[in-house]
Amino acid sequence: MPRYAMVIDQERCVGCQSCTVACKSEWDVPNGFGRTRVRQTGTVGQFPKLSTSFYVSQCNHCDRPTCVPACPTGATYPDQNGVVRVNRALCIGCGSCVAACPYGARYINASLGKVDKCDFCASRLEKGLEPACVTTCPARAKIFGDLENPSSDVFRFAYRDGARRMETANVAIGPNVYYAGKPEHAELALASFAPAPPRTIAPARIWSSLLNKVVYLAVGATFLGQAVAFFHQLSKGEKQFEE
Amino acid sequence: MVSPVIETVPIPLTAEQAEAMAQRQIKKHHVAIVLLHWFNATSWLLELATGAGLIVAPAYRFAPVWYLQMMEGMFGSRANMLRFHLAVGLTWITVFLVYAIFGFRNYLHTEVLQHEVALDHDDLSWLRVRTLHLLGRSDELLPPQGAYNAGQKLFALLVYVSIPVIMLTGLIMAFHWFGTAIVAWAMVIHFLAVGMVVSGLMIHVYMGAVFPEEKPAFYSMITGMVDELYAYRYHFKWWREVKAQELLWKKQLTEDEERQHGSAENADSGAAESAPGSRALQKPEE
Repeated sequence: MPRYAMVIDQERCVGCQSCTVACKSEWDVPNGFGRTRVRQTGTVGQFPKLSTSFYVSQCNHCDRPTCVPACPTGATYPDQNGVVRVNRALCIGCGSCVAACPYGARYINASLGKVDKCDFCASRLEKGLEPACVTTCPARAKIFGDLENPSSDVFRFAYRDGARRMETANVAIGPNVYYAGKPEHAELALASFAPAPPRTIAPARIWSSLLNKVVYLAVGATFLGQAVAFFHQLSKGEKQFEE
Repeated sequence: MVSPVIETVPIPLTAEQAEAMAQRQIKKHHVAIVLLHWFNATSWLLELATGAGLIVAPAYRFAPVWYLQMMEGMFGSRANMLRFHLAVGLTWITVFLVYAIFGFRNYLHTEVLQHEVALDHDDLSWLRVRTLHLLGRSDELLPPQGAYNAGQKLFALLVYVSIPVIMLTGLIMAFHWFGTAIVAWAMVIHFLAVGMVVSGLMIHVYMGAVFPEEKPAFYSMITGMVDELYAYRYHFKWWREVKAQELLWKKQLTEDEERQHGSAENADSGAAESAPGSRALQKPEE
């Protein structure tokens, strides 16, 4: 089984947004949203030693995804090849996973009323094609492949050439998009776009802290009550109404 | 033969009286209500079974894993199970909408609701005595009850509040109405309302199907009829209403007969008197 991952070479990325456009046209992403986005980190340092970088953000298909347990219906699930996918037939559009994602990789598609995000172009992978953004990138800054295959480019970048994951001490859930390039590029991206701790939406919080207890208590109490009544009835013996 | 005087409180019956009353049947439920009840029961069974199988997230799940796998296996996939859940739910909503529209005048107006749902003083003491009975702590007589006892009324109240909530939240989730925040709340409120109904439903099923003294109520949901003895013992106030109605009818019939005999002798006075009588006859509901 392959374990798909992506490497984004920040040294090669020039911020041309080709990947954004390719993705939007491939997946009919509505205006204002994106499955993948290119963000500029801003400029740091003192002239003439200025530095800037582009941070290409998308779903990281994490090893320990926070969106999967957040999804109440199981619509978000990890595929066997490491891709975190959304089963649209099950999604009700509650937004739990959007809040749970530290990378802001998810959005609600208003015309569907359901969540959408990068799935490494799963339908293209099935046909043996690479993701649309990888095919399109003119600088070959996006590299896609199988981490289980030692001769693949992603394996080389991730395990030999020190490409790093966008992780902090607070948020370390094993993202599978690796960032290659000079160390300061990744530092710049982390400084501006550090992963946010996963959030739990208010209804889910109130459900697990209070409302589920109310339901279990009500159902449990009536069940116990009638169990008592039933055993009382048994001990008394059935008295038919007619007598 | 109906006694011309109706008791205001239940009196001890002789064996013969009880035997005779046990043989007589009174109509309790319209056939439409019987059908609606079993349609509703079937829908609830299917919706609870599939609904429990659809909740898989660890934070929400209450069904054991083997159950989730069994249900998924039965339907082929969870997406199919969701489609089934929605199809049954939408059918259920449609049928109840039709019922609400066509049955509105008969069942859903203030007078009937006060009569069949609102709790009176007898109902409150009935609840207390009934609970003590179930726990074997009292031999007190149960206060007289109307067509529905206080327990049934309480359950009806719970259901009347919960059903629209369950329908609306279900529709919101099914069609992703009003945006993310509302859908998320709808999900939680859907569980909550269903949970509340289920806690009442367990008593409802136990009382109807297991509890021996209420067996006639169970059979009345199949035949639409209860025997008079059961009505006398458990729904005395309703029995009185039925008897009063019967007396009214009998009186009317006698008067009509007399009038028919009289009309041969005195046609003018008979025609003048027939108007109020025939109106009363056409009004079977009180």
